[in-house]
Amino acid sequence: MKVLELKNVHKVYNTTQVEVHAVNSVTLDFDQGEFAAIVGPSGSGKTTLLNMIGGLDKPSQGQILVNGTDLTRLKSSELIDFRLYNIGFVFQSYNLIPVLTAKENVEFIMNLQKWPREKRDRRTRELLEAVGLADRMNSRPAQMSGGQQQRVAVARALASKPKFILADEPTANLDTRSTENLLDIMETLNKNENMTFIFATHDPRVMKKAHRVITLEDGKVIEDRKKQ
Amino acid sequence: MITKTAWKNVWRNKVRSFVVIASVAVGIFAGTFSVAVMEGAIAQRLDDALNHEVAHIQITHAGFRANNDLTCLLEDAGEMAEKIRSLEEVEAVSYRLVVTGMANTASKSSGIIINGIDAEREKQVLGLDKILKKGSGSYLEKEASGNRAYIGEDLAKNLNIIRFTLTDAIVDSLMAKGVPAETAEKLQPLAGSRFRNEKSFRKKMESVFTREEQKKYGPLISEISRSFRKNARLALTFVDYHNYHTGGMFRINGLYDLTNNMFESTQVFVHYDDLARLTGIPPGQGHLIMVRLIDVDQTEPVTSQLKELFPGTEVMNWKQIQPDLAMMEGMARMMYGFFMVIILAALAFGIVNTMLMVVLERTKELGMLAAIGMNKKRVFRMILTESVFLSGVGGVFGMIISKIVISLTARQGINLSGYKEGFEAMGFTSHIYPHIGNDFFILVTILIILTGILAAIYPALKALKLDPADALRTE
Repeated sequence: MKVLELKNVHKVYNTTQVEVHAVNSVTLDFDQGEFAAIVGPSGSGKTTLLNMIGGLDKPSQGQILVNGTDLTRLKSSELIDFRLYNIGFVFQSYNLIPVLTAKENVEFIMNLQKWPREKRDRRTRELLEAVGLADRMNSRPAQMSGGQQQRVAVARALASKPKFILADEPTANLDTRSTENLLDIMETLNKNENMTFIFATHDPRVMKKAHRVITLEDGKVIEDRKKQ
Repeated sequence: MITKTAWKNVWRNKVRSFVVIASVAVGIFAGTFSVAVMEGAIAQRLDDALNHEVAHIQITHAGFRANNDLTCLLEDAGEMAEKIRSLEEVEAVSYRLVVTGMANTASKSSGIIINGIDAEREKQVLGLDKILKKGSGSYLEKEASGNRAYIGEDLAKNLNIIRFTLTDAIVDSLMAKGVPAETAEKLQPLAGSRFRNEKSFRKKMESVFTREEQKKYGPLISEISRSFRKNARLALTFVDYHNYHTGGMFRINGLYDLTNNMFESTQVFVHYDDLARLTGIPPGQGHLIMVRLIDVDQTEPVTSQLKELFPGTEVMNWKQIQPDLAMMEGMARMMYGFFMVIILAALAFGIVNTMLMVVLERTKELGMLAAIGMNKKRVFRMILTESVFLSGVGGVFGMIISKIVISLTARQGINLSGYKEGFEAMGFTSHIYPHIGNDFFILVTILIILTGILAAIYPALKALKLDPADALRTE
């Protein structure tokens, strides 16, 4: 089942002198449960593409369909609600709320979705256990390592069971051990929860783990390779 | 969750939040305490005016106030008073003769209003006995023989009835009241001196004491050195009912002390019978009926009732007789509110500045919140709540401090006797007992919350304008 479809997506930035095609005629689709990496050198359009998939940016042309809903037709307020219920985000610099504990950060989205307390507590515990941080529930981000913070961020992204998770350079600030640990956890969650993960990365360790690698260059897909 | 996060956000930068909270607390305290002092002064002024000067309602002959004519009499004042007394809202009633005249001593004279009163009845209506100056004699007692007068301390000063005498005992008593020996002893060479009036006494004091000593101990020295000649005599002159000049010698029974200098220096009280005899007005008649109500809030309805009951007379309540007092009472609350609004408006700029810094510092975080699906309404609410917490915590501290300081100062009062003359010239006491009602704290609480909300609007709108993708890119 296709969870995400990109049809002839363009993104053009108009600078004063020239038009820059950050994303150029990209057509892709993703099935439920994929573990895919969008790779390419700096400036190849990975983050722009990811922002458009996440509804943070609008394409200049083309369609982005999430479970049949065309994101390009949604108003900005509708997009916010759409993101809340359908898309999970993992950022390069973790972006946890520093004044909240790991538990509070994970249940933040569930709170926004007004989940009942009991259900919320159960899901939070389940996720923190899955990322190996059940014992750090009451720790604040500043009391945790980068790897631990990113695991909390993954748990947060998964909390409300989105359609897919977008992870922009999630391992860029992590050491090898933390990276491997994080990727193992994500892979397990991908398998156990059939969760779709789409990474934007140039980290070879992520590429190695990914089941599908899409290579971008100058905004164009030059290779879309599925591993067996 | 948003409320909890906003609360935790307040304490992210403890020093900055503390500065804002402290400034709000100090502002609220300063405003509330100033209002309490003003309210205390106004309450005392109203209390003096209603309980010792004008009562709640006055009734006169229709032409009396306009013409100040002695012949404009309420011929059945006694019966009217009885009728009024029977109303259930009324606590006490008295009627008076009111004559304009002159008070003369050997060295001075002064224009006055002579009130012929029933001493016992007036006790109930205006509590004139309660304002007797300690050690100055007594209120108009019935058993005293001859014409007796009860006059204000200021009139006594104006007529040189109060003199200033320095004795060794006064030096000792000054030291006992905390005046340093070296200051008090400067009066020793002057022991036995008498001064005819305050002006000459002051002049002497200025030559003896430094300016600092004058300022600090002057009022106390002046108070202690005053001597009043008991049974001093006073010639009161006026015209009688038949328009002939007449008058009589009156012994001063006692002095009264009010905060209103004007009242003190013009109103003289004598026995009704003495004034009736001297003016030739038959008993039972009066110029003025004074009414005291059980509840001051009943003033308006009872005024209307009395107007219906006694057509052809002039019935006026205290608000009409002293519109300045009515305005003071009516406008005071509005002025206090306005005063607090000005203070809070100034504080709001500080909060706006802090909240703008908050938005600037958390650009990336706000971008992340928008990205994960926190809608604009919630972001707006979070920033508003944070701002309300900032102002609210400061406000709560400010109100607690105010409450403590007001209750502490209300016990002893604030003594501003250095400015006594200025205060009393305006009818206010220089010894103020700060007072504030709990309803004022409700008003302040509402204003604090409003300040927090208004101060957050601009920063919150800035936050809403952030583009999540751009905000996430900031470092």
